Amino acid sequence: MNFFSSLMRPGRPLGVLVALVLLAATVGVVSSPPAARSQGADVLLNVLATGAKKLNIVIPNFAVVAGSDTAGLARSLPQVTAKDLTFSALFSVVSDVPPIPTADPAAVRATFANFAAAGAHAGLQGLLNLRGDRTEVEMRLYDLTSPEFRLIAAKKIDLPATQARRLAHKIADEVVMQFTGESGVADTKIAYVNTGGGSKELSLMDYDGAGATHVTSNKSINLSPMWSPDTRSLAFTSYMRGYPYLYRMFPFENRPVQVVAGFLGINSSPAFSPDGRFLAMTLSRDGNPEVYLLNLATGAFRRLTTYSGIDTEPTWSPTGREIAFVSERAGGAHVFVMDAEGANVRRLTQAGFNTQPRWSPKGDTIVFTSRQGNFDLWAVSPDGSNLRRLTAGPGNNEGASWAPNGRHLVFQSNRPGGYQLFTMLADGSEQQPIPRTPGESTSAAWSPRLP
Amino acid sequence: MAQRRGSALLLAVPVIALSLFLVGCPKRPATTAASAPPPTGTPSPSAAAPSTAPSPSMTPSPAAPSTAAPSTTPPAPSEFTANANLKDIFFDFDKYDVRPNDAKTLDANAAWLKSNENLVLIEGHCDERGTNEYNLALGERRAKATMNYLVAQGVQASRITIISYGKERPTCTEHSEACWAQNRRAHFLVKAR
Repeated sequence: MNFFSSLMRPGRPLGVLVALVLLAATVGVVSSPPAARSQGADVLLNVLATGAKKLNIVIPNFAVVAGSDTAGLARSLPQVTAKDLTFSALFSVVSDVPPIPTADPAAVRATFANFAAAGAHAGLQGLLNLRGDRTEVEMRLYDLTSPEFRLIAAKKIDLPATQARRLAHKIADEVVMQFTGESGVADTKIAYVNTGGGSKELSLMDYDGAGATHVTSNKSINLSPMWSPDTRSLAFTSYMRGYPYLYRMFPFENRPVQVVAGFLGINSSPAFSPDGRFLAMTLSRDGNPEVYLLNLATGAFRRLTTYSGIDTEPTWSPTGREIAFVSERAGGAHVFVMDAEGANVRRLTQAGFNTQPRWSPKGDTIVFTSRQGNFDLWAVSPDGSNLRRLTAGPGNNEGASWAPNGRHLVFQSNRPGGYQLFTMLADGSEQQPIPRTPGESTSAAWSPRLP
Repeated sequence: MAQRRGSALLLAVPVIALSLFLVGCPKRPATTAASAPPPTGTPSPSAAAPSTAPSPSMTPSPAAPSTAAPSTTPPAPSEFTANANLKDIFFDFDKYDVRPNDAKTLDANAAWLKSNENLVLIEGHCDERGTNEYNLALGERRAKATMNYLVAQGVQASRITIISYGKERPTCTEHSEACWAQNRRAHFLVKAR
C-alpha cells in the first residue's frame, strides 16, 4: 500500500479529494476548488496529481545564527532529518548542500530558483541558535512549486543541548505534519530484548537505531516489553526473581521497578489499553493460560477468557472496545477477536499456526506471525477479510510492532544469521535493517510519539 | 578565487546535486554521522527492590503435618537441584499430552517421589520453533500435564511447583529435529522439605 493509496482510505476527506482531483485530471475536467486546508497538503496533492510518487524536498545544511557550532550540528541535524523524511517513504530528499542564504533576498530567491529548476517541490531551511545548555532550530518550509516560493510554515523548536538530535526528528515530524495533516514518527523509540550482554535484557533505541542501550541488567531472562500510552513506562515479563512475573519499569524516571503481577504460573504478554487504564495480560493462576485485564487504578483483576487450554497474547483495538488474542480452542494456534468484556468471540485465521497478533493504531489491520514452514508476517482486516502475506523469507520474520502512524512496522528477522530488527511499510515493502546491535535483538515494541 | 567565480560555483553545486531530480533518480541522502549521541533522558537502572509481590496460593494446604506454616510463595527455583532419580520426559511438536513411553518414566518418577518428602519443581520447555509468548504458555501446559500425571499417581499436589521457561532455556541450539526433540521436555528439580 503506497502513500497515495493510503490517502484513499474511506473516511479521510484528503483521500477523497485526491481521488476527485485524479479523476478530474483523467477525464480532462477541471474539478471544483477544494475546501480550505493547509498549504502543505495542497502542494502534496498537486505533486501527486502529476503522477509523481514522492514529493521532492531539498534540505540544505542549517545556518548558524547565534552561538558556536562546535558539534557540527548545522551539518549533522539536517542529515538526520533527511534520513527521517526518506524513511517516511513520502519524500525524495536531497541534502548536504550549502545553507540557504539568510540575509540577501535576491540570493535567497536565486537559491530557491535553482532548487525549483532542478525539480524540488519543497525546501526546508533551518536556522540554528546555540544558547549554551539549550539548542533551538527555527525551521522554515517553502513551497517551491509556487512562483513566489511561498512559506508553508515556520516553527521554532528548542530542547536541552543534550537532546539536540531529537530536534532533527521533531523537524522531520513537523514537515510530515505540514504535508499530510498527521505528524511523522521520527521522534519515537523502540524497546526490545537484546542478548549482547550475555543475557536477555530490555533495551531501548531511537527508532533509527541510535542510542541503543540496555535498561535492565538483572542477568536473568527479560521478555515482551510493551509501552504505556503515555510513553513513561514499559511493562515486561522477567525471571529476575526466579519465576516469570510481570513488571513495570520507568526508563526516563528514577523510579524502582514495580511488580504488576506475581501469581503462581506465568504472568506474561502485557498490553496496555489505548486509554492507559487497563493492562491486559496472560495469567495461568486459575490453572491454564487465560487473558486477564488489570484495572491499573483499582488493582482489580478480571478474567476475560474461559477456554481450558491456551489463551494468550492480547492486543487492543485503538477504540479500546475489542481485543484480538491467540487461542488453541480451535486446535493449533489461531487469532481470535473478542470485545473488551470477553464476549462475542470470533475467529480470524483459518490456516497456519498463528501468533503475535498486533492491532494497528489505525484500527484497519491486524498483523500477525504465521508459521507455515518458516515464520512470516501476515496481515488481515479485523473483519477477517483481505488476508495477505507481508514477508516471504528470507529466514524467519516475526514479532511485528506498529509505529504510531499505522504505516510502518518493526519486526525481527534472522535473515542476517542471528535475529536483528528490521522495518517495513504496512504492505510489506521497503524492508530494511535497523543498524546492527551486538548479540541478537528481538521482541521490538515501537513507542508512541514522545511528548 | 574571484568573487564571481565563487558564487557561480556556489550555484553550480546545488544544481548538479539537484539535477538528479530531473532524471527521476531519487538521490540517496548523505549518510548521517555514525556516532550515536546520548539517548533522550536517563534510563534508570533496574532496581532490585520491587513493591510488594501479590501471590495468592494456588496449591491447597498440605495435608501432612509440617512444622512450618503453609507458605503462599513457592521456594525460589535456585533452591532446587537436579536429582538423577527423576528423568526428563519429552513431548511431540506443539503438544503437551504425556505419551505412553513417557508415562512409564513418570511412573518411575512418581514411585521415587512417594518414597520421600522432597518438594519438586517441574520445568516445562519448548523448542525454538514457536514464538516466545505462545511457548511460555505451551511450556506451562507441559509442566501442568506432567504434574497432573504425578498427582494422579499419588504424589501430593502441595509438593509440586511448576515453572515454564518457554523456549528460553534450551539444552541444545542446533536447528535440527534431533535438538528440537530434546528441548520439548519437562525437567525435574528437588528440594528437601
